[in-house]
Amino acid sequence: MVISPVQYIAIPLIAAFLIPLFGKLNKELVRIIPGLVLLYLSYISVVLMNQVISQNTMIVEIIAGWRPPWGINLVFSPFSGFLASLFSMLGFIIWMYTYNFKREVEDAQTEKFYVLMMMLITGTIGIVLTGDIFNMFVFLEITAISAYSLTAFYRERDGAEAAFKYLLVGSFASFFILLAIVLLYSQVGTLNMADIAQKMPDVNPYMKGVILMLFFVGFGIEAEMFPLNGWAPDVYTQAPGPIGAIFAGMVVKAGIYGLVRVIFTLFDVHEIFPLLMIMGVITMAVSEVIALRQGKLKRMLAYSSIGQMGLVLVAFGIGTHEAVFAAIFLMFNHAVIKSLLFLSGTYLVYHSKEKNISDLDGIGKSLPFTSFLFALGSLAIVGLPPFAGFWSKLYILMAAADVRLIAVIAIILAVSVVEIVYYFRVLHRIYFRERISTIEIKIPSFNAKISMLILAIVIIVIGVYPDLISGLIERAATDLLDKQHYIQSVLSVGLH
Amino acid sequence: MMKRFFIFLILAIVGYYIVDVVSQIPFGENRVNVGDYYLDKSPSELKVSNTVTAIVVNYRGFDTLGEVTVLFLAATGLASIMFRRKRKGEKDIRAKKASSRIIQIGSQILFPIIILLGAYVFIHGHLSPGGGFQGGVIIATASLLMLISYRKFKVNHSTISWIESIAGIVFVLLGVTGLILGKTFLENFLPTGELNNLLSGGIIGIIYVAVGFKVAAELTGLIDTLLLNNRPEANKEK
Amino acid sequence: MMNEFLMISFYGTAIALILIGLYATLAKKNLLKIVIGLSIADSGLNLLFMAIGYVKDGTAPIFSAEVVGKNVVMVDPVPQALVLTAIVIGFAVTAVALSLVMRLYRHHNTAAIDEIKNLKW
Repeated sequence: MVISPVQYIAIPLIAAFLIPLFGKLNKELVRIIPGLVLLYLSYISVVLMNQVISQNTMIVEIIAGWRPPWGINLVFSPFSGFLASLFSMLGFIIWMYTYNFKREVEDAQTEKFYVLMMMLITGTIGIVLTGDIFNMFVFLEITAISAYSLTAFYRERDGAEAAFKYLLVGSFASFFILLAIVLLYSQVGTLNMADIAQKMPDVNPYMKGVILMLFFVGFGIEAEMFPLNGWAPDVYTQAPGPIGAIFAGMVVKAGIYGLVRVIFTLFDVHEIFPLLMIMGVITMAVSEVIALRQGKLKRMLAYSSIGQMGLVLVAFGIGTHEAVFAAIFLMFNHAVIKSLLFLSGTYLVYHSKEKNISDLDGIGKSLPFTSFLFALGSLAIVGLPPFAGFWSKLYILMAAADVRLIAVIAIILAVSVVEIVYYFRVLHRIYFRERISTIEIKIPSFNAKISMLILAIVIIVIGVYPDLISGLIERAATDLLDKQHYIQSVLSVGLH
Repeated sequence: MMKRFFIFLILAIVGYYIVDVVSQIPFGENRVNVGDYYLDKSPSELKVSNTVTAIVVNYRGFDTLGEVTVLFLAATGLASIMFRRKRKGEKDIRAKKASSRIIQIGSQILFPIIILLGAYVFIHGHLSPGGGFQGGVIIATASLLMLISYRKFKVNHSTISWIESIAGIVFVLLGVTGLILGKTFLENFLPTGELNNLLSGGIIGIIYVAVGFKVAAELTGLIDTLLLNNRPEANKEK
Repeated sequence: MMNEFLMISFYGTAIALILIGLYATLAKKNLLKIVIGLSIADSGLNLLFMAIGYVKDGTAPIFSAEVVGKNVVMVDPVPQALVLTAIVIGFAVTAVALSLVMRLYRHHNTAAIDEIKNLKW
């Protein structure tokens, strides 16, 4: 059997159905199998990515033997493939972290946790790989249902409340997306994204505008766009730590992918770009200012995450090749760095009930390794050289300067100062205060340390040699902007 | 008051645009779309008389795989959300009183008939209206009937998870077999038979039977989990 | 005439259901009513999709023995297939929502949204 993109979905599904059975044989298998699956997905990512880059193509796989537009197809293009590879590798690293996490949880719950976590990652991979708009909706729901359940995982927290809030807002998002799909189908009579993109010029502009706004609102909720992001801080705070990392690293990125795929490939309406940029600027400015006022560590990280997503939207809204390149670079950086911050931050406030930042006073001496990695992540996310975050911010500023958006540059710089203030405040507490709180500290397990260390090494290496990854991202940006190539590659599959 | 005003404002905007857009969609007209292709190919190539089934299980079979997964995740997530440790000596209580004799005997008579109907619906999914999801739901109503009429009717969760897993694996493996045979994922590799015969449509019938079992097991488990946890904890602690 | 009547009743009912559902979700204070509202809005959307797939004088897209070989108008099968998927997904979301409501009720001993405020709403 040759390696093909459908294995990204099929292998985790078999594993998910098997885990309850293996759980009856051996409790440890429940924890191990998801790791093996994610390792295998990382392996096929390397193989497929290599193939796509070296042959300068995109892999389009048809399913059930019907070529597009009649059947569903998966598209492993430089852009979607890049994100799918990122998700599977990051997923493997986060799995490594969870392997010894919360051993005291009951076996029945552990099993469910791992099934849901694996399917959460698979759902996000499905969203980026699929070439069919309704199929994307199905994967969005797979992601959403796992996410709701995982948010409510801990009974001792207010998880159920956050999850209900998330479910309510998420249902609105899927309602709008489904309504948009229904209206789109009534206009073009097809669901394949390449086919829709091809037939889009015939649709009357008013209809087009309404459908695009519905997609914009729906995916905007998933992408934490202002003012539709009220759910995010609660969800990040109440969900288990590693799940917060998955939300920030993958689920939101999948939402952004949906948004830009719809805007750039399906509609290609340039009037939406200023709106995207304005929403991005507002999202960024508002959430970074709110982050400044947060007393709880994870809420602060959540608002910082929303702010970074705003910056991604700004970059996509500029719309030039350089800006799209910078946006994808920032998506990559944010996924890695924010995961590191969530993973290390979880251990910093492990036994703290309120998860307040003031509980961190002087923790740098008792947890030197974790604190050091958290500090490294903080420096990287605010964009200081020589870390990875510096390059993406620089590229965004350069792209904005190219099209003379002076106001946007000023706002980005001002917001960066705010970011520096609140991250350094936390670092100040960690390193320059005396420890007074009596909260027990938790030493990370060995595998958790390894997984955080890998992320930290990635951040430093990309910071020093950005060229290692910029080639891939360059190709991804070209792929996203080249709509005609996408349409042709998909619709010519199976025509011999 | 302010909030109510905003709600009506939002509803008015959403309502206006939906009405405006929908009224521009011609009603009852045959538009050129992918549906025509399915209506053409489904009886001639796949030999499946129910076109909707052909779309659900074959043309858009990948969606259905996702759909089955969504149900599976809902069952898993629901069990995880409702999970709680049992106190010492605590027993599962479902209803305070047993149902009346009439309901009990009535449901005993109906139970096998409903199961038979459900099985009929999912076995004939490719010939007549219905299919795996519908049949599975019908079977689950039979268990619901038993659960509400007998206090002691027990659902064996171990059996349910076996059925769930095996049915799910059958679905994915049928898909993977297509890949192994050098075709594509979920492509039909069995002879398609004659139109309007029970044994027609290749793997479509098999997949729908697996889906039927899976849906029936999942919904039964779901109902049981919800019914078992009907007692508010907070009341008891007072 | 008949066609217009059908159009108004189908589209009208669908849009009415959508708006009623959205109203219940936004305005109601009881968690259970909010979940019911979501279900109603979903049903409205499904009905709208089915109505869009209707073809005048069309029959169900099933090639039973009586229909084979004759020139029969059939309705568009795609919306029916997609609505089946959408119903199942809506059901799954409702089930998870109900379990969350039950857990909140157990924890707070109330289902009123105003009284459950450990987090900011």
